[in-house]
Amino acid sequence: MKTRTLSFFILLGLGWTLAAPAADLQFEADDTLPLVYLNIVVRGGAVEDPAGKSGLTNFMGEMLLRGTKVRSKEQLDQELDQMGAHFEEETRGEAVVFRGAVLSHQLERFLPLVNEILTQPAFPESEMKKLKGELISGLLEEQGRDQALAGRHFDEFLFPGHPYGKSVMGKVKDLEGLTSQDVKRQYDSQIRDGRITILASGDSAAIKRLQAWSKTLEQSRPGKEDAPRVAAPKATSGRRLVIVDKPERTQTQILGGEIGFKMDEPDFFDFYVANFVFGGGSFHARLMNEIRTKRGWSYGANASVKFSRQPRSWRFYLFPAAKDTPAALETVLKMVEEWRDRGVTPQELDFAKTSLINGAGFLLNTPRKRIENRIQEITLDLPEGFMKHYADGIARVSLESANASVKAHIHPDQLSILVLGTAKDLKEPLAKAAGVPAEKVQVIDYRKD
Amino acid sequence: MQKRLPLVWLAVPLLLAACSSAPKIVKIPGSEVIHLAGKLEATRFKLSNGLRVIVVEDHSSPTFAYQTWFDVGSKDETPGYTGLAHLFEHMMFKGTRKYPEGKFDETLERAGAENYNASTSQDYTDYTQELPSDKLDMIAEMEADRMVNLVVDEKSFSTEREVVQNERRFRTENSPDGTLYQELFGLAFQKHPYHWPVIGYEEDLARMSAQDAEAFYKAHYAPNHAVVVVAGDVTPQQVHETLQRHYGSIPAVQAQPKALPSEPSQTSTRRKTLKLATQVDKLLVGYRIPSESHEDSPALSLIQSVLTNGKSARLQRALVETGVANGVFSADIDGSDPTLFIFGANLQKGRKAPEAETILRRELKRLATENVGEAELERARNQLSFQFYAALDNNHSRAAFIGRYEVVVGGAEKALDIFQKTLATGPEALRKTANRYFQDQNRTVVIGAPK
Repeated sequence: MKTRTLSFFILLGLGWTLAAPAADLQFEADDTLPLVYLNIVVRGGAVEDPAGKSGLTNFMGEMLLRGTKVRSKEQLDQELDQMGAHFEEETRGEAVVFRGAVLSHQLERFLPLVNEILTQPAFPESEMKKLKGELISGLLEEQGRDQALAGRHFDEFLFPGHPYGKSVMGKVKDLEGLTSQDVKRQYDSQIRDGRITILASGDSAAIKRLQAWSKTLEQSRPGKEDAPRVAAPKATSGRRLVIVDKPERTQTQILGGEIGFKMDEPDFFDFYVANFVFGGGSFHARLMNEIRTKRGWSYGANASVKFSRQPRSWRFYLFPAAKDTPAALETVLKMVEEWRDRGVTPQELDFAKTSLINGAGFLLNTPRKRIENRIQEITLDLPEGFMKHYADGIARVSLESANASVKAHIHPDQLSILVLGTAKDLKEPLAKAAGVPAEKVQVIDYRKD
Repeated sequence: MQKRLPLVWLAVPLLLAACSSAPKIVKIPGSEVIHLAGKLEATRFKLSNGLRVIVVEDHSSPTFAYQTWFDVGSKDETPGYTGLAHLFEHMMFKGTRKYPEGKFDETLERAGAENYNASTSQDYTDYTQELPSDKLDMIAEMEADRMVNLVVDEKSFSTEREVVQNERRFRTENSPDGTLYQELFGLAFQKHPYHWPVIGYEEDLARMSAQDAEAFYKAHYAPNHAVVVVAGDVTPQQVHETLQRHYGSIPAVQAQPKALPSEPSQTSTRRKTLKLATQVDKLLVGYRIPSESHEDSPALSLIQSVLTNGKSARLQRALVETGVANGVFSADIDGSDPTLFIFGANLQKGRKAPEAETILRRELKRLATENVGEAELERARNQLSFQFYAALDNNHSRAAFIGRYEVVVGGAEKALDIFQKTLATGPEALRKTANRYFQDQNRTVVIGAPK
């Protein structure tokens, strides 16, 4: 049964090769519904924000949607809405992705507008001021959302001084100081043909129009230079604990982890499977079993690997009641040590591989997912087709290779641990649970920029 | 209230298609075909025990979505036992004699299940999976088994209650938005069960027992209270044969008459201000509106689109573009019973919620007194058309679209009819509808302000 399912997916994956009708355009036809989805992927992203100007790339991307040389923001908004179309910007660490979606009969009207947005920006001062107000207020609003707030602080704690530690959204102080010259420089540097790939799916009648349009875009933004790669982050030494102090929390957010590895490293699949056993999204994973199912401590408990062009992070996450937090942290740390020392069992490995292989087809089963995979390949320097061979990679993992990968990548004595909670109640017991001297525990105010 | 994913019980209304056609007979006795959109058709039939089944064929990948929607939600709870529908949803993963605790999850995960989840709303509870197409028999057997053979023991109940209490801390106690939603419904509804939160009150969760959960199960979980939607690489005949084999022998239960207390008319604005751990003001406003099956629903959907769909929508311009708010949304909640049309805004630094409320009232008054122009109406209709097609984009969302409308308004074709009427709604009807519902005495306001 298992083998039959796998072969279905592998065959299907090979059959779903994306057409590449133009140098910078990849299109997949899907005539189920009269829609066209457009993705414009720009290699670059927030890691290119200069020192003291965090949030600049995201700001630039947003500003592109706020007026062109021939149209105000209001006119742009009205034109897009009139078509029932969407066009949005998403800044990532190492990419900016513009996502459009439109009813197919509106494509003819939609594409020139996208071209205008990307090639004729005006960056009006009035919109700069408005956008700053919105983004800064958004950062303040985030202080009310513990999960997002903890995630932002954890990145900063894990990557001190490195671009991966900076929030894509930036800091309040940095946003306040951005000028239109900064934005223009970032635009000139990142929105260039050499960095852009266009991926689309939907109504097959769209292909010819998209081909012609992509050529126009290419000619409007010449430049062959690709995005530079940032230096690899350096590991911090020793186990560290920081408490993000927020009053009156009845629940905490716990994040712990260390610098990870790149997705194209030889033992990627080995670690991926071993992590699935430990905490990778399964209800049978050790973390879910021990923390949620057996003890009822946290609604969720997981461990994940985050990838970038340089090694990013492995991290665990749970959110227990404040009263259970020290015990929960102590338990998880013991589990990490045991996982590293003893590895996973043959039964656990068999379950993980079977589950992942049988589910691998869901990485490929819609045109939009296949496009999303390609975006991942482009932005992470992965070879084309990497995601199509995911099931093969999982199938090759052995008990020895999985356990060796855990030993290679997990260092319990080097973990960086963050707890968002009320420090006056938790500092001493958390220091003890983490095995960190109380005087070395950092406490920061949750409102810190 | 979902088992694993973020809260969506107050989902923005799904919007429906323009191109329904008259049902036509196919091979399965009593079945009918509903044209959804593009190449998509739904085949609906009913088993003799009352189980409703809808199948949407799509053979573009060897996968399918399987969803079970029960016509039971938090509105079916009684005071003192709030949160039971959601807590019971968690218990549905605990085990039967054939699939003891852990085995259900393990079997599905081993099969490679995707979108394996469940959620509870005020009106319904749904259980979802996506699987490779050779697993239809397996999932039908497992879902039929837990529909009738669940074992609810005190130990697993007690642990799961802890999990739910922690979920409550996450979604409500430590969340400004969650706290505001609880207050809004608590204030707007005084008699009707929409008064209490889907996740329940802490003191009620603490007092519940496994016996309460078992009684809830026996009263509400039965084939005649459920809809199964299967979308993907299957045929209606295959689904009919498979479900008949696994569910056919499960008896219907006597449907208990639902005598929910009706909510008395509101006679004046209700309001409350809460001091929260937030750095910006938050505004949440609800106006009482009728249920989704009411004749005014199409106009209310169009109003929602005019006000907040897209960056050129009226409230976007009036609140965000002016620097008052950081973001604004509205939702005409699609309830089985009369519910709320909600507006929400996060204020910008230094701005206060009453200022946003004044602007909101001004815009609603304008809508109630002046006809919307044709270009603006066309914009709103195009936005709704796009949303409709996007909602049918993949097996999972198609099944959710159909399942939800089957339990809320009694059939996907009724939803299609509502959408046709939405597109046909003119400026005069829109103005009259706005005038009917956006009155001060219908309004409930909850403000979250920094401590």
